[in-house]
Amino acid sequence: MIQLAALAALFALAALFGGVANALAQAAFVATFALAGLGLVLIVGQSGQLSLGHGATMALGAYAQGVLVAAGIHGALALPVAALAGTLAGIVASIPGRRLGGLFFAMSTLALALVVEEGLLRLVPLTGGAAGLVVPPLAVVDWRLHSPAAQAAVSLGLLGGAVWMARRLRDSRLGRAWRAGRDDESAAAAVGIDLGHVRMLAFACGGALGGLAGGLYAHWLGFLSPEQFGLPLSFELLMLVFIGGVRSLSGALWGAVVIVSLPQAIAAIRQAVPWLEFGAAGLELTIFGLIVVALVMWRPAGLWQAAR
Amino acid sequence: MLTTILRMGLVLACALLPAMADAATPGVDEQSIRVATIQDLSGPIAILGAPIRDGIVMRLDEENERGGVHGRQLKIAVEDSGYDPKKAVLAARRLLAGGDVFAFLGNLGTPVVMATMPLIVGAGRPHLFPFSPHQATYLPLHPLKFQIFAPYRDYMNAAVRHLVAENGYGRVCLLYQDDDYGLEVGRGVEAGLRQLGTTLAERTGYKRGATDFSSQIARLRAAQCELVVLATVVRETVAAVREARKIGWGVDMLVTASGYSAQTHELGGEAVEGLYGVSVLPHPYAGKDTSRRLGEWIESYRTRYDADPNVWSAMGYQVADIFIQALRAAGPDLDTQGFVAALERLETSRDFLAGPGYRFSADDHLGNRRGRMARIVDGRWRLITDYLD
Repeated sequence: MIQLAALAALFALAALFGGVANALAQAAFVATFALAGLGLVLIVGQSGQLSLGHGATMALGAYAQGVLVAAGIHGALALPVAALAGTLAGIVASIPGRRLGGLFFAMSTLALALVVEEGLLRLVPLTGGAAGLVVPPLAVVDWRLHSPAAQAAVSLGLLGGAVWMARRLRDSRLGRAWRAGRDDESAAAAVGIDLGHVRMLAFACGGALGGLAGGLYAHWLGFLSPEQFGLPLSFELLMLVFIGGVRSLSGALWGAVVIVSLPQAIAAIRQAVPWLEFGAAGLELTIFGLIVVALVMWRPAGLWQAAR
Repeated sequence: MLTTILRMGLVLACALLPAMADAATPGVDEQSIRVATIQDLSGPIAILGAPIRDGIVMRLDEENERGGVHGRQLKIAVEDSGYDPKKAVLAARRLLAGGDVFAFLGNLGTPVVMATMPLIVGAGRPHLFPFSPHQATYLPLHPLKFQIFAPYRDYMNAAVRHLVAENGYGRVCLLYQDDDYGLEVGRGVEAGLRQLGTTLAERTGYKRGATDFSSQIARLRAAQCELVVLATVVRETVAAVREARKIGWGVDMLVTASGYSAQTHELGGEAVEGLYGVSVLPHPYAGKDTSRRLGEWIESYRTRYDADPNVWSAMGYQVADIFIQALRAAGPDLDTQGFVAALERLETSRDFLAGPGYRFSADDHLGNRRGRMARIVDGRWRLITDYLD
């Protein structure tokens, strides 16, 4: 309830300063990034595995969506395939985890992100390579989702469903196994938990959400190019969950609010204050960096965790 | 058939423009005209974004000091995308939602441009002269899309043909950045060679941000290249040429306008002497052979920004200048339809920045297709040809 009230207040603020359409467009991106972040919360926060290549699941989801829609498949039907592409990427990312642990495994997930970006660049007939791929607006039956309101509604609806499913997973036997492996590997193995298997399932679930987010992202942007899905995106997603609270499902949402909306708020303030308008290139980035540092110092468990 | 469809689309779009003009023109009132630009001021190409912004703002301010265009002051909102299309889309939506922007001017970066352009033209705002090599910035013909930057594929085609004809190279090779930029350059070079009845002897790529070119240069040397075309940006240009010279390979090299920068000879020093380049707008050097007007402009820029102008500053300035010329031609009763019609009739002449002169028409919204050859001699770029057809 508190969360909803806080989100409504932030939405009202965004609408007040940038207009309702802009606030809804932000909401669409916030929900889309929260979807991807939720997947990472399952992997990092619940199962305790560090994934440095989560952007790859978004990339494969986005391109699966873009390619299928370009081939004439209905956008709404392509979204499950986008989620499936993310799932497969997640499963592949988890394979080295059966042999590697800790930082070495994290590095292997980093490699996946690099391989996917390179692959998208090379598969020119399918992806358009470096020239990119134009993606039309998402269509549900004959309704084309041009407007920010429709985009926000779809993103928030899917996020709501994803949160509900993630809660079920968290409270299930599988969720307990994830946390057991995260907190004490030896003890978890001693009680018969197949750590490799349950972690693979975490990556599969996380990947599915990443792929789904990628599918939506493709439509909201309308243009895909491999460089958009490089390492900076993976790091941005990782930052998102740590800012919001990596062990809380709600953390993904709050992290997405910070990642997507904070730069917009700073830009709006900069333009409202005349002496800031043309000066100080990179002001947004500097302020954003300071806020992240402050969070790490004073709220190391993340925004939502700390608020609780 | 395709042309007919395009023309019909254009006629239809033009027919819709009066409807837009009936309402008050967004971003225009009796006192001012508001425009916007989306730049990268904090991301990977901020080194280009900041001087472009400074050039644009400087030209608008100059016009304002002279009383503005038809008595209207020119105001600009500068947005920083950080080269992130998501931020750019939100910024464009915010500016459009405010209803207070007449046109978008010189947006920077292909992902940013491609993500925001449909929103901008969809809202009925002119999308003018973006810094992107993507063909979609001017094709298919759209009443609100205009471009002035010569496509890599056009001017590299001409440049390669010119150099091969002048120096008689038998084996031409390509070192390219693995993205849309490298792709466009490659197409131009291949097209030029095809016209000469030959093909690329060897090609090799690299990822953006690469610093080590030893394997690529070794491969090109093994292919016995006589001219290496570089689809590189400044740092990569310097690294590739240095690597070749380090191993004692004195092959001739030709870089695109993306490597035509003062930083290339400042960073490369002796190693880049003799490097050929293509210029779509000359670098504004200060010196004894600089024209009086250009000298004054350089001094004014230095005073404003406490920095020397570069070719990107000049491009930003030129973008704003063409916009202002079109505004003047559109007359005091400014609306989008009148502005577009004025721009389609616009023909600019060479000014003190020695640009090519830009010409638009109702059938062609790309104002220039040509570049000119330059070469680094005694530590600075010297122009060695006029604009090539």
